[in-house]
Amino acid sequence: MKITTVTNTFSNSVNNFLYQKVSIAPLIMFRIIFGALLLFGTLRFLSKGWVEQLYILPKYHFGYLGFEWVQKLPGNWMYLPFIVMIITALMVIVGYFYRVAITSFFLCFTYVELIDKSYYLNHYYFVSLMCFILIWLPGHRCFSLDVKRKSVPELHNVPNWTIRIIQFQLGVVYFFAGIAKLNSDWLIEGQPLWIWLQAHHNIPLVGPLLQEKWMAIAFSWAGCLYDLFIVFFLLMARTRKFAYLFVVFFHLVTWYLFPIGVFPWVMIFSTLIFFSPNFHEIALDRLQRLFRKDNSLNTATSNSAPFPSARWVNVTIALYIIFQLTVPFRYLLYPGSLYWNEEGFRFSWRVMLMHKEGHAVFYLKDKKTGRESEINNAKFLTRTQEDQMATQPDMILQYVQFLKAYHHGKVLHYGNEKFTIKDPAIHAEIYVSLNNRLSQKFVDKRHDLTTFAYDLKHRKWLEPFNE
Amino acid sequence: MTRLVPLLLILAITLGCNKDTDDPKPDFNKAALLTNISGDIILPSIGQFSADLDNLSTAFNQFSLDQTQVNFEGVQEAIKTAYLTWQTVKIFDFGPIRTNGIKSAIGTYPSDTAVIASNIASGSYNLSSLGNVDAIGLSALDYLFFKQNALNELQTSANYLTYAGDVVAKMVDEFAVVTNQWATYKATFDASTGTSSTSAFSEFVNEFNRDFELAKNAKIGVPLGKQSLGIQLPEYIEARYSGISLDLLEESIRALQKVYNGVGFTTGADGPGFDDYLIHLEKSNLDSTIDIGFNGIINKTNSFTNTLEQEMVVSVPELDVLYSLLQGHVVHIKTDMTSSFGVLITYEDNDGD
Repeated sequence: MKITTVTNTFSNSVNNFLYQKVSIAPLIMFRIIFGALLLFGTLRFLSKGWVEQLYILPKYHFGYLGFEWVQKLPGNWMYLPFIVMIITALMVIVGYFYRVAITSFFLCFTYVELIDKSYYLNHYYFVSLMCFILIWLPGHRCFSLDVKRKSVPELHNVPNWTIRIIQFQLGVVYFFAGIAKLNSDWLIEGQPLWIWLQAHHNIPLVGPLLQEKWMAIAFSWAGCLYDLFIVFFLLMARTRKFAYLFVVFFHLVTWYLFPIGVFPWVMIFSTLIFFSPNFHEIALDRLQRLFRKDNSLNTATSNSAPFPSARWVNVTIALYIIFQLTVPFRYLLYPGSLYWNEEGFRFSWRVMLMHKEGHAVFYLKDKKTGRESEINNAKFLTRTQEDQMATQPDMILQYVQFLKAYHHGKVLHYGNEKFTIKDPAIHAEIYVSLNNRLSQKFVDKRHDLTTFAYDLKHRKWLEPFNE
Repeated sequence: MTRLVPLLLILAITLGCNKDTDDPKPDFNKAALLTNISGDIILPSIGQFSADLDNLSTAFNQFSLDQTQVNFEGVQEAIKTAYLTWQTVKIFDFGPIRTNGIKSAIGTYPSDTAVIASNIASGSYNLSSLGNVDAIGLSALDYLFFKQNALNELQTSANYLTYAGDVVAKMVDEFAVVTNQWATYKATFDASTGTSSTSAFSEFVNEFNRDFELAKNAKIGVPLGKQSLGIQLPEYIEARYSGISLDLLEESIRALQKVYNGVGFTTGADGPGFDDYLIHLEKSNLDSTIDIGFNGIINKTNSFTNTLEQEMVVSVPELDVLYSLLQGHVVHIKTDMTSSFGVLITYEDNDGD
């Protein structure tokens, strides 16, 4: 009896929390702000010429395991998803065919990201997840063209979970970024921040300080504590304003010191979702007054539309939360150094944790004659791809498989000699430097790398990492 | 609010405590390094190469008017001199040298002798066209003035003489642009101390590495058969006709070592270089490793007495040793040195982490 009561109380309070009616204003503001960020990010990407540089020119792409079927579009057709993204980001901002728009944006964006893991960034993953979440939220039910054209009825209240899920996702990014920083390189050595900060020693006034090790350690601790606790201070009304100042300051500093593109802006603007409904209502009200003078949000009668059954929503939210909380810890399934082996490294909010530099020489071995050739990596990869590949074991294996397929059956003419390559062996000698340590051997030449499967299992062919 | 106190406290403690335990480090400033490199190495080497080209042009004109053996040898010497100076200039493939495509216009090898021959035979060609990139520059002159019967051809074929003159004139004209532009670009270069991949410092570090790798691959590796299943490819030897390939390799490595140490091109004075930066970053061991590595490569190269083509017949194992030295050195400069500097070796701009 007692247990049932407790469970009931718990499930009641969970339900109360998730379905409590709250103002739609924060969600609407978030739709507009995040839509604008999507638009800005896409335009910036295009203006930098990256579509051509990263997706049209390269001859080979490093797909994700299980997603190798995702291929780029031929030639200039690669601009198409970006054009769609611009149009749909605009549609998201104004709430026009919102569901179609945000779904299309999510698909285009995720498609582009899946083409090549050389360009993996945590904040791209974040954008993909956030777009996915927005598909399921009623972001168009107020102050939108969809409401204006009477495609959907206006809504002024939404269940609490539609706001909380966004806050949860942002919280995950910060909190896990903080947990990831709890390691000796970061907290004790102040690495890799020290390498990056000392490079700024020419900045007037603070420059000389930035090259001091204690400064790097101070930065590291501050960054770690910030990431771990900022969400809690943002959640509490009492500390929120002060915490947000911290958010702005922190991300402006990172924007100034590190080449991290739009990420600071995404975080500065997205974290506004933590502000009170009242704050967003005032903001939205002001925005609305620009367009129509009579009808303001606060005076409108509140109504609510039927939402999907609670059980279905509960299960989905629970699954999503479990997924988000476990994926960053999947590295625990692997032995050895996480930074060295990079097994379970991506999709875990490990932001700016490593400075890894590598040099990889691959050898094609003709089994029949026993002769070998060094591979000229520049023939197949761009410098960015080569640089990323050299330190990431899964990409090394992908490249090996590509090299094998490329050379299998090739007839090579050198001088007066002719070689028909069949089922070649590929060896590699790779050295990697991690977080300011001298480089160590990463892959030894003794292995024929074509004999190893490209899968999620632990990679035993990597040389062990010595502290 | 109250929970922020520990954060500030830790910050204050960390800031306060370590101030007096500051260990003395040699002073270093990236801006001083850039100023030293541009002022004492880049500009003087550009000036020297420009003078070398003028001498070459003069020698060629003298030969055109009076086609004697002595004047012919004068041109040959001028080519060799310019070729050696070029080993320093080619390191700096950024700014005006990059934008004007000078490294490929002057330094591409090996030459396509068939294209040169057909250009000479037809007498009509556009040396700036893409198809002629293997028919111009120092490598083309090496062929035109050092191949068998070169003197005879120059004396008897008006087209041949004209072609040689056009190749010289093209280099003189194009390089004059670089000299002019570097005069103003120097200020930009000196001030660009940032860490983004487009800063001059990053470009400089990256091109330094690239030039070393190119020397390893193109000057030795490819001819030795390192990329062709061990089958030697003598037709890929740089300056094959004059036979100064190993001199060029030695000079190229010397030039890189001087840039590494910040040693003035004409003065020979030791100024701020990568070595000082490494020492400042408390990596003097790496600095000695790199300097010893450079010396080892230079000594090994110096130990060969014949041309590369001859050595490829008689002393392959020794050339393999030289190649391994070069290979091992890449790891020290490209991986260890570069990662210490905190520059992005990603050659494109970046969108975050």
